[in-house]
Amino acid sequence: MFIDIDCAQKKKYNQNAYGDFYLSGRFPNMNRVVAVLSDGLGSGIKANILACMTSTMLLKFMENNSDIEKSCEIIMNALPVCKVRGISYSTFSAIDCYENGKAKIVEEGNPDFIWIRNGEVLKPEYQSIQSKTFKNRKMKVYNINLELGDRIIFCSDGATQVAMGSKEYPLGLERSGLIKIILNKLEQEPEISSMDLSNYLVKQIQLIAPNHNLKDDTSILSLYCRNPRESLIFTGPPYHQEKDSYYAKTFMEFKGKKAISGGTTANIISRVLNIPVYTDLSTNSGKLPAISRMEGVDLVTEGILTLTKTLEYLEDGSSQNDAAGILMDFLLDSDCINFLVGAQMNKAHYDPNLPIEIEIRKNVIKQIAKVLEEKYLKKVSVQFI
Amino acid sequence: MEKIKVQVCTGTTCFVMGGSNLQELNSIIPEKYGDKVEVAASNCLGLCSIQWEYSKAPYVKVDEDVVSEATVEKVLEAIDKKLEN
Repeated sequence: MFIDIDCAQKKKYNQNAYGDFYLSGRFPNMNRVVAVLSDGLGSGIKANILACMTSTMLLKFMENNSDIEKSCEIIMNALPVCKVRGISYSTFSAIDCYENGKAKIVEEGNPDFIWIRNGEVLKPEYQSIQSKTFKNRKMKVYNINLELGDRIIFCSDGATQVAMGSKEYPLGLERSGLIKIILNKLEQEPEISSMDLSNYLVKQIQLIAPNHNLKDDTSILSLYCRNPRESLIFTGPPYHQEKDSYYAKTFMEFKGKKAISGGTTANIISRVLNIPVYTDLSTNSGKLPAISRMEGVDLVTEGILTLTKTLEYLEDGSSQNDAAGILMDFLLDSDCINFLVGAQMNKAHYDPNLPIEIEIRKNVIKQIAKVLEEKYLKKVSVQFI
Repeated sequence: MEKIKVQVCTGTTCFVMGGSNLQELNSIIPEKYGDKVEVAASNCLGLCSIQWEYSKAPYVKVDEDVVSEATVEKVLEAIDKKLEN
């Protein structure tokens, strides 16, 4: 089981900073995902700092394997109370879950999370923990077991209270209204990704707001337990030439999506398996070589230039419509990404006369793997051959 | 008469050594020679690594003849020569 997690946010109208803060981390070795959504008091920079502090502290506690319940309790007791309003500086929801389905959720002040299984909303039991220092603070702790297909949705109160006081929604959209929108969408698109679902929901919430101006920061954090989408990227010729045919066959037998990044690599597979490669000039952008086509392979690109550009796009979070942009979409569309990296080097690439410096493939792949894991929470494996 | 086949290498070395400018052959060749000559981009032809003359990239193949340090002019010249024979 793979846990697909993403968050979408919109700012309060006329503010230039988000008052909600979301952080998450994935620990592939432990098959574990942690995430925190915090809503800072007020809006703008002040709220942003409060929420950021809360979620950063919580995530750090959780990353260091402190017990989530205990960590949340420390934070709940430590969070100051606003002098003017007499309420907490920030509220939070935190989840610590494993791919075997075991999950612990702790909430303080945020709307109750929504747990959906087969189109039904489940009502889990929880334990209530009272803050030792503040009487009005209570923490809800849930121990639940997730199953394949389950979805968990957290939101900030900006989502449930949107349009409050309007004729149509005197009490705001409320949790029940949000559930209706979610179930409707899931009926239309049962396999929608967490990213698309969160984005869809914040957009719908904004449409409900009078004049489409949100009166509070709005965040949707969504988790989806599903079968992982696997992909394999073969780049670089194997160090031992006699193993070419073994790796070419292993590559073609892979069940998920397949990409080749490297002209020579593509030629090896083409030769071993007798499948022709065609270069497709329609994707030529001028700055990067065009992509190629090969039957049975989802994407074929040039190697190191394209990979270097892809790394740049992944770090920036934006891309262009060229081979590297296509490769980036390919990677982001997968949950578990496997790299098969040939260690043989083309000496021509390291000729000092070349007009640009060409990076060593191994290093570029290591950096791509790091950004995919840390920024995009993908499960990545790299095998050098 | 059999068509002359031109392959423009778009491998890494060729691309950075000026091969990206050779893409215009894709429009020049059909315009100039009609269907006598067929042009296609190719992924790495492997010439830079086997010939140890990698400073002579970019490479273009006109049938089996290799044009090294290829420019549009050099490639057209090689095609003309072939057509003369």
